Amino acid sequence: MNATTSLAGSSPPKRESHGIANPERWVDDHGDCLYRYALLRVRKPEVAEDLVQETLFAAVRTVAKFGGRSSERSWLCGILKNKICDHFRQLGRETPFTDLEFLSDEMSHKFVPQGFWNHECGPAEWKSEPEVVMHRTEFWQTFRQCLDKLPPRVADVFMLREMEEQDTPQICASLQISQSNLWVMLHRARMALRECLEINWYGEPATRKAQ
Amino acid sequence: MTEEFNPSPKGNPSLLKRRSKLETSVVKFIGRHTPKCREVVKILSDSLEQPLPLSMRFKLRVHYMICAWCQRYEKQLHQIRRFAGKLPEHIDQCSREQLPEDAKQRMKESLRKHRQP
Repeated sequence: MNATTSLAGSSPPKRESHGIANPERWVDDHGDCLYRYALLRVRKPEVAEDLVQETLFAAVRTVAKFGGRSSERSWLCGILKNKICDHFRQLGRETPFTDLEFLSDEMSHKFVPQGFWNHECGPAEWKSEPEVVMHRTEFWQTFRQCLDKLPPRVADVFMLREMEEQDTPQICASLQISQSNLWVMLHRARMALRECLEINWYGEPATRKAQ
Repeated sequence: MTEEFNPSPKGNPSLLKRRSKLETSVVKFIGRHTPKCREVVKILSDSLEQPLPLSMRFKLRVHYMICAWCQRYEKQLHQIRRFAGKLPEHIDQCSREQLPEDAKQRMKESLRKHRQP
């Protein structure tokens, strides 16, 4: 009798709000984060929304296999990355000539005619360690701004490679470019990003002091 | 040939910096027999896509003896790769856009239907 009373008096079951069985909660907990990433990658709000929705549906289908090895967010983020890769593959859009030509002089002004660095404008030393830098919100804002300065297709190529971690054959197939074009675009994207970070993050004395 | 050579700057951070005639000739020798900096930067980017042959890795090591700038460039490319790889985790720090409320409701609705066929 006592046992029954205590059972009846115990707190209501919490299974509804916890556990894996509540995908609707994902929308509130991770929706904005997934949307921000998708928007960074595809730029169009309606496409980004679709990608988030597809991600959540795919998550419902595969939730049984998700054993909680990683956090829920990084699991969902991983699914979104796959959806982004699918998106670019389905788009199958050719790369505009202007984007292939981006930074085609490869900063020749930084080199002397013999091909060595003009020592006045060679790479400066980045004084702060990556671990320190990555803790700063302002750093990520600067990094984002530098990415935004790349032409869309160059940014796509760079992010498919470095964020979705696709390899050369996959990207070449999705974007219909040759390996040498891809590597040239990656080279120029990295060169432009390096320059942008050096000027806008590492070069600013105030920022450096604050670290 | 000599006058058109890139002069060593003040406070040259490289290991070898033409402080004597002998050092100068070593620097020039290395400069002639390793890739030029303009080529090095492309080679370094490509090395993130495919490992370089041993001989090229050796040439770069030797080149770095006369060129601290290319060595920095290599280090910074690796840092950029790390930063980009970590960006998705830090997306909340670099953008504030929100999934519109109506889209959220719509998604919840379809997830509910999806779950109870």
